[in-house]
Amino acid sequence: MRNYGGYMEKGQSTPFYDLKLWLRILKCTRGFKRAMGVAVVLAVGVTVAALSLPYLVKTGIDTYITAVDLSPEQRFSGLVRIGGISAALILCGFVLTFLQVVLLEWVGQSVMHRIRQQLFSHILSLDLAFLTKQPTGRLVTRLTNDVQNMYEMFTSVIVTLFNDLLRLAGILVVLIFMNAKLAALMSLFLPLAMVLIVTFASLAREKFRAIRSQLSRINSFVQESVSGMSVIQLFNRQSWLFSQFDGLSREYLERTLKQIRLFAAFMPLTELMSWVAISMILLYGGFQVIDKRLTIGELIAFIAYMRLFFQPLRELAQKYSIVQSALASAERIFSMLDTERKIKSPPSALPIERINGAITYKSVSFAYEKDIAVIDDLDLTIDAGQTVAIVGPTGSGKSTLISLLQRFYEPQKGTITIDGHDIRDLDLETLRTIVGVILQDVLILDDTLLANIVMNSGCSRARVEDILEKGGMRPFVDRLEQGLDTRIGDGGRELSSGEKQLLAFARAMCRNPAILILDEATASIDSETESMLERAIETITDRTSIIIAHRLSTVKRADRIIVMESGRIVEQGNHQHLLSRNGRYAELVKLDSFAEEQEQGIGTSGSTESPEPFPIQHSNGDPL
Amino acid sequence: MNSRDPQNSTGEERASAGGVRLRTLWLRLLSEQFKQHRTRLLFGFVALISVDFLQLFIPLIVKQAIDSLTAGTGTMVHLLHISAMIVGIAGTVVVLRYVWRRLLIGFSRYLERSLRNQIFSHILAMDQYFFSRRTTGDIMAHGSNDLAAVQMACGMGMVAAVDAIVLSLAAVGFMIHIHPTLTLYALLPLPLLAVATRILSARLHHRFNHVQEQFSLLTEFARSAVVSVKLIKAYTFEQHQIDRFDRMGETYIHANIRVAMINGLLFPVSSLIGNCGLLIILVFGGRLVIDGAITLGDFAAFTTYLQMLIWPMMAVGWVANLTQRGITALRRIDDLITAEPILVDAPANPLLLPGTGKFRAENLTFSYPGSTIKQLDHVSFAVDSGIIGITGATGSGKTTLCKLLLRLYPVDDGSLFFGDLDVNRLSVDQIRSQISYVSQEPVLFSDTVSANIGFGADDVSLETIKAAAEDADIHQEILDFNNGYDTVIGERGITLSGGQRQRIALARALVAERPILVIDDGLSAVDTSTENRIIEALRKRFENKTVFIVSNRIKLLSMTDRILILETGRLMADAPHETLLRTNSFYQSIHRKQMQEAGTNA
Repeated sequence: MRNYGGYMEKGQSTPFYDLKLWLRILKCTRGFKRAMGVAVVLAVGVTVAALSLPYLVKTGIDTYITAVDLSPEQRFSGLVRIGGISAALILCGFVLTFLQVVLLEWVGQSVMHRIRQQLFSHILSLDLAFLTKQPTGRLVTRLTNDVQNMYEMFTSVIVTLFNDLLRLAGILVVLIFMNAKLAALMSLFLPLAMVLIVTFASLAREKFRAIRSQLSRINSFVQESVSGMSVIQLFNRQSWLFSQFDGLSREYLERTLKQIRLFAAFMPLTELMSWVAISMILLYGGFQVIDKRLTIGELIAFIAYMRLFFQPLRELAQKYSIVQSALASAERIFSMLDTERKIKSPPSALPIERINGAITYKSVSFAYEKDIAVIDDLDLTIDAGQTVAIVGPTGSGKSTLISLLQRFYEPQKGTITIDGHDIRDLDLETLRTIVGVILQDVLILDDTLLANIVMNSGCSRARVEDILEKGGMRPFVDRLEQGLDTRIGDGGRELSSGEKQLLAFARAMCRNPAILILDEATASIDSETESMLERAIETITDRTSIIIAHRLSTVKRADRIIVMESGRIVEQGNHQHLLSRNGRYAELVKLDSFAEEQEQGIGTSGSTESPEPFPIQHSNGDPL
Repeated sequence: MNSRDPQNSTGEERASAGGVRLRTLWLRLLSEQFKQHRTRLLFGFVALISVDFLQLFIPLIVKQAIDSLTAGTGTMVHLLHISAMIVGIAGTVVVLRYVWRRLLIGFSRYLERSLRNQIFSHILAMDQYFFSRRTTGDIMAHGSNDLAAVQMACGMGMVAAVDAIVLSLAAVGFMIHIHPTLTLYALLPLPLLAVATRILSARLHHRFNHVQEQFSLLTEFARSAVVSVKLIKAYTFEQHQIDRFDRMGETYIHANIRVAMINGLLFPVSSLIGNCGLLIILVFGGRLVIDGAITLGDFAAFTTYLQMLIWPMMAVGWVANLTQRGITALRRIDDLITAEPILVDAPANPLLLPGTGKFRAENLTFSYPGSTIKQLDHVSFAVDSGIIGITGATGSGKTTLCKLLLRLYPVDDGSLFFGDLDVNRLSVDQIRSQISYVSQEPVLFSDTVSANIGFGADDVSLETIKAAAEDADIHQEILDFNNGYDTVIGERGITLSGGQRQRIALARALVAERPILVIDDGLSAVDTSTENRIIEALRKRFENKTVFIVSNRIKLLSMTDRILILETGRLMADAPHETLLRTNSFYQSIHRKQMQEAGTNA
């Protein structure tokens, strides 16, 4: 198995100094300015509290502990006073830090929530032509991981970065204030540390990426193996499979060991740096103490500050890589948000009062991909109230015809009208309410059957009961344990494909569409459900209906049959008429083994289980 | 490792309620790896402990410098000497740290790999019961989260535990050496830190899990919305989806803030308590310096030791949680790895089965475990060779019969025979190597077409693959794919129709070249004329061998040599098509129905 499943982003790095990007990220925090301001104030408070402690200790040493000219009692009471101030500061620091963390979390999450919502509704509004070209994984990653990456930057970076930088600056200021020369010496470590950090961060990122991608390879391998286990066992391929797995797991081990080596080298290095710094302070500061240019308290404070100094540096190393991936994520999110949809409601939509449901396609041509015409200069007129069956091999353009009517795609040429109105002049939502669909794919909500039927149509329970009654679908509901209140979907009752179509039928009727589209199920349906579905469909006589037919029984009932092939209509008329023409339709029926069985006196097509009575041609079919 | 591994035979131990004892877990899952890597572990720990002691000497050296400076006896040479010593020790520490990280953390990865392989190889030996009781997600979780937990516990967890114990004991020793009473005072707040970390990080873990759950709900919702975007648009259902996503997002924010509340406490608490110790040293230690009981150097060393103690104290809480999680994960892994297939494999001395397409059932009766409904009820028939059709309504037992043939479930003695031998006297592998199988919704792997077809046997030549594809009537369509036989199937490659999938699965079964072929409704998505050609090809290929086809299509059944009809587990008929048309009312009724479907008035 060569599964490289698990969606991985292509490696790309966004420049750190992309000012436009930063500005746009900053714009996302609109409405949280005050909260951000408070966070900054809190950060200042936290830094002041943290930095005053070593200074207080220094004051304690210099003014009291080593002040030989004061009495022991005076010295001790001074020490206690300093202790009191320190205690207050420690407590302050604690509370302020807590508040800051929670506040930032709230701001970060709220901002991300807003971005995620914006992105989600944007994606739902985008053209199918665009969406179908995107792997599902990519779109989901935008909504989840990319947003998460940006969030990490917001909370743990933007302001922690601010905290750390503030602290570094604060330490430098205090040190310069205490002893400028020694401070200058210590600041020499800053560029060194920076170089080390940036090198490490980029190396570590690479290693982590390698580990993650290998792990996702292993995971998808296991997933595929588990779902295909019966096949693996029936073909006795266990040992072969295991050797494949062993290879993957060995590679994973290698990659983790590489990462361990990197960390083993880097982690102690920062430690080394801090000890070297301390020894230099001791050496240089010691000389100054001997020369009486520095007090012992200051020397001890210097050493304490040095420890505080290296802590944020180490954190910066981690933050650096977070910022990198966050910037890349931000760029991807923004580029998705910048994708514009082509299919929109017109600025001023035609007011629609009553729709009769007459449809015309006027020399319509359409291709999903350039030059591969799926609908080819097609003309078709359907009168209001007519029932039309479309037949033809897979890939002949049946489903596309419907998608164009719903305006999921825009034809490259020609116009489509409903009751004489160009569908482009109608409000999109109105159009899709006029055209009700019963597709093979049924959207199931994790809710009761009733809620699934009603959805957002605002139908009352009584109306639903009425629809079920009229459509002869009562038995379907009655055989569920709790009738209309049975929960379906995830964690509820699983519906068979026939039941799903019944649901879709009831759902469509709730919306009372002027035009009804039915894509007949190709999958096996048990005969009871099937006859229920057939009867239900027979009850629709009062509106225009277009049926993509897979069953001969349906086809024969239609007012008109349209035979499609390679995006064109090759024949149309009713069943008898078309059979007598002895053309493509008659051939399709014959190919359905109809005639052959006649000779033997055994008429059958086995259509209960046959998904496609017409010859299957290889094609990409409907892209969704 | 598989179910026959001797270590698994200690199953009685785990049967005693309340989970597995730690010793058993250790013996079964870990001890071998620890033994195998004992040299690595030994050197690793020596390096780790050396680092701890070396680190503790540095404050002592600094103390000397400060003392000499306070006393005014410090000279440049002395300071130089001290600085050089610090750098020297620090350098040694760096090297030793590198060594232990590589050795000890590396060990945890070796352990992880060994467990991962054990799990996978065990899964490969499991039967359908096992997979019906566990979702793929469960098994995946063992393979990722649980392994990660064990790896953390045996890597960083073990290191931190040893490090914390050695470092804290030694640091406390050094402090007591300087001044016992001050040590007592300074250490007073530290146990609080351990307790606080333990409580907080346990709660953090809990709340963090909740965040993860919310995140996967969010992901799943986004995924299903993206997948069904066409339907959502068709139903003008966008706003509803946006609102739901919004509510889930709100819940997610809430869960995150709950985590932040703990996070906001966890780290400040450590600095709060560490600083409290510092405060105590400042006041009481300062007093001692004033009284001349300790030197200023002692005072400085004391503060350094205290800071060194903060990490081990935090580690105690952290390690406790890691260990706990590690043990829970080990239990789950152990659960998985000791699960045994219900289908007991070979009898003590399995008989040798000659290659044969012959089998028979005698009063075969079967219910699924935990159910009293008889899926098969005294079914008897015998097959020598030829194409046999099976039909019957949904739930009549057709698929169950196929599964029993494939030995996916156990049967009673004396009820199922292959080539006159009772299946219970034969090994499962032997029987399975006689049968190839095609299901209605076949599983294909994300790989090339040729790899998928060639999956049926070892080292299959391309000629064999093509011949099988031709017989399955898919060859021409494969050639029409962009890369022919090298076209990749699945998410990253082309999407196949149901009929194409079924025919590729059929080709895969043909490649295996086994005397019995079971097609469980595996041609349902193939159109009738193709079906015709396939049956013709099968007739040639399986001369003197057996093809067993489950179907409800009269057309297909009419091409078979004879047809078994099942009704609620009983064999109602066993006769050729023509006979059944005359005699069997069930057969007549489906025949009539399918005839009407086809239309009669042409």
